[in-house]
Amino acid sequence: MKTRKIALLMVALLLALSTVLAGCGGSNTNDTSGNTASGGESGDKDTVKLKVYLIGGPQRDLPMVQEEMNKYLMEKINATVDITMIDWGDYSKRMPVITASGENYDIAFTSSWAYDYLPNATRGAFLPINDLLDKYGQGIKEQLDPRFLTGSQIDGQNYAVPVNKELASQWVWRFNKQYVDKYNMDITKIRTLEDLEPYLQQIKDNEPADITPLAVPKGFKPYLAFDFLLGDEFPVGINMNGDTDKYVNVLESEELKSSLKTIRKYYQAGYLRKDVATLEGIDNIKTGKWFVDREQTQPYAELGWSRSAGYDIVTTPMQDPVIFTGSATGAMHAISANSKNPERAMMFLNLLNTDPYLRNLINYGIEGTHYKKISDNVIEDLPAMKDGFQMPGFALGNLFLTYMHKEDPADKWEAFKEFNNSAKVAPSFGFNFNPDPVKTEVASISAIVKEFYPSIMTGAVDPDEHLPKAIEKLKAAGLDKVIAEAQKQYDEWKAANQK
Amino acid sequence: MSNLSEPIKRASAPAKKSRKKSRDLNAISPLSNVIFNIAIGLFALSCIFPFLFIIIISFTDEKTLAINGFKLFPEVWTLDAYRFLMESGQQMAQSFGVTLTVTVVGTALTLYLVTTYAYAISRKNFAQRRFFSFLAFFTMLFSGGLVPSYIVVTQVLHLRDSIWALILPSIMNAFYIIVMRTFFTTTVPDAVIESAKIDGATEFGIYTRIVLPISLPGIATIGLFSTLGFWNDWFNALLYIDNANLIPLQTLLIRIQNNMDFVVQNSSRVVSYDIASTLPTETVRMAMVVLATLPVALAYPFFQKYFIQGLTIGSVKE
Repeated sequence: MKTRKIALLMVALLLALSTVLAGCGGSNTNDTSGNTASGGESGDKDTVKLKVYLIGGPQRDLPMVQEEMNKYLMEKINATVDITMIDWGDYSKRMPVITASGENYDIAFTSSWAYDYLPNATRGAFLPINDLLDKYGQGIKEQLDPRFLTGSQIDGQNYAVPVNKELASQWVWRFNKQYVDKYNMDITKIRTLEDLEPYLQQIKDNEPADITPLAVPKGFKPYLAFDFLLGDEFPVGINMNGDTDKYVNVLESEELKSSLKTIRKYYQAGYLRKDVATLEGIDNIKTGKWFVDREQTQPYAELGWSRSAGYDIVTTPMQDPVIFTGSATGAMHAISANSKNPERAMMFLNLLNTDPYLRNLINYGIEGTHYKKISDNVIEDLPAMKDGFQMPGFALGNLFLTYMHKEDPADKWEAFKEFNNSAKVAPSFGFNFNPDPVKTEVASISAIVKEFYPSIMTGAVDPDEHLPKAIEKLKAAGLDKVIAEAQKQYDEWKAANQK
Repeated sequence: MSNLSEPIKRASAPAKKSRKKSRDLNAISPLSNVIFNIAIGLFALSCIFPFLFIIIISFTDEKTLAINGFKLFPEVWTLDAYRFLMESGQQMAQSFGVTLTVTVVGTALTLYLVTTYAYAISRKNFAQRRFFSFLAFFTMLFSGGLVPSYIVVTQVLHLRDSIWALILPSIMNAFYIIVMRTFFTTTVPDAVIESAKIDGATEFGIYTRIVLPISLPGIATIGLFSTLGFWNDWFNALLYIDNANLIPLQTLLIRIQNNMDFVVQNSSRVVSYDIASTLPTETVRMAMVVLATLPVALAYPFFQKYFIQGLTIGSVKE
């Protein structure tokens, strides 16, 4: 009898413990030592070690570079860092486990596409940082385009420091330049899907059959001027050229219908690959047997594409750059809710976003070992960088502080800023949709989309027959309910922000 | 090959008693024998074909592959993939060593723990037998799940970034214990243990000198299971290992696989472009698979004789 009672008690304790550890909702800020920095600029008297998780392939020379960083950080903020790189594909799998186990890490990479920012912030995994930003992140506030901070707010609170980089997104047509030159095409005239027709025809008629004119895989979708609710794989959005107060069913829009007619015509004319609807990816760059495809761009992206392809690639825009909520949350660093040293973590993030020496050290490694300087802010990679220190620059902090390579145009970062300033803001910028109330509908709609989109959007099937079918199925799965929920949240958000 | 099997044939050939073709009563007819052989042969081929295909791809030229797709007889054969692995093979060799160490140490420890545990609960005169059987069985029905396991390994045992994190979590396996216990109870008759006792053997002596030798087929089976288990385990390393020097082979492969999935899912990002450029090419990946799988495939024949003997070995006629 007695043993049974004890056993029950143990089970109850275990359950209680696991709920606490899973950190359900509660912003457990009270267990971080409440002494808010008594030491001023250089932090407290005792040295702390910051545990940092970043996304990207583990690098062999990281310990060496980390040692250099720590020397510098000891001087600056009396802290050291312990950086763990978790590979791209594993990051979103491992971070939730680490967080759920209640580990006291300090800083983690988060974004709209890896270890998702929105759900984890609302779950209480991250610390709200507005006060910390005011106290120790002044430099960040000065350097950062303010739209990053507004775009990544959840109910008026920031939970992560966004990386200063390209803020807008823009789709472009990419062309294999050798064919553009061969037929003397003026690609500046091309913008819409319809504009492509004569050029595709030219390639189809004059080039061998293994050159695909419009070389896209099954993920292709005609460009639509929509502000999507959950990305372009989900048929709900705001028509940016229509009523910008309303979420609508994208599949019922006139724009999509006419684009689908065009793409269907192209498919039947043989401009796309016959097996496009089942084509996972397409190896254009490697084979060179293509004329045009589509890609998201950033300033001077074509230089990078050309460099890795080994032949020239040119682009022309499909749209003007637009700033979406998702682009503001493209790469950020959050401070863990379990962090023991949030102040010092913010100081480190501040340095990462304002201090050129530290920023380039973590990005390019040690001068003379991994790279050599050609001029003040232009470098050349040494072999050691390729072998042991290739870090993802966009995920480390303020991109505009980093050195450039000699192939880069001198005005590269200026062009980025220009790109950001020229962009218009999407109607729902700063609005973060919480899909929890319609979770099941969202899941089943996503499944239906996976089934229908590839064949419809690539023109592999007749849209007049299959589009109504898809719409019917989506409505049965609760599409209207999702639209209504989105509208409700959007209206509330607009009322709260006086838009 | 044929001269190898000759002596065996001669040994097993029945003494010539009669000129008549006589068949064993229990044998199947030659026709159905042929049909069965063809069916099993086709099945075996369908098992081995994908692997053959992987081997072929690993010897194909990368550019040919991009242009023509997969072909059984590629136009251009090359050793480039293996050359690339040899040249940049530091990580590969290191991982191979890790996998080998983990497999050998892990299998040895597993066998020791599982057989002792199973033998104890197979003995009818062991008082706590039911309790310990239940203890093992219970873990098959209920497990704490991922997060508690993670907490135990990282915060209680502090095994992060140590080779023990790859060995200890999977060292005891309730299923193996139950298989082994059943094996002991069926193949080791009480009579043998009784007689050994009468001859004055100690408990441990009975176990090492009598029970284990009789039970070799069972031990070999469990040994093979756990060898495969340790060799193919990648999940533990994914969770607990960040140090590149401790990454096993399979985890290396899984990481590449995960990164590829990631690139496909995020194909519309500028980011995925940078990642894709760091991934090994298709042919190199296939070469890695070949190098990771071949050793185990080659080890199997050494275990085979135990499986063929199977559970027919006994020690007492009853």
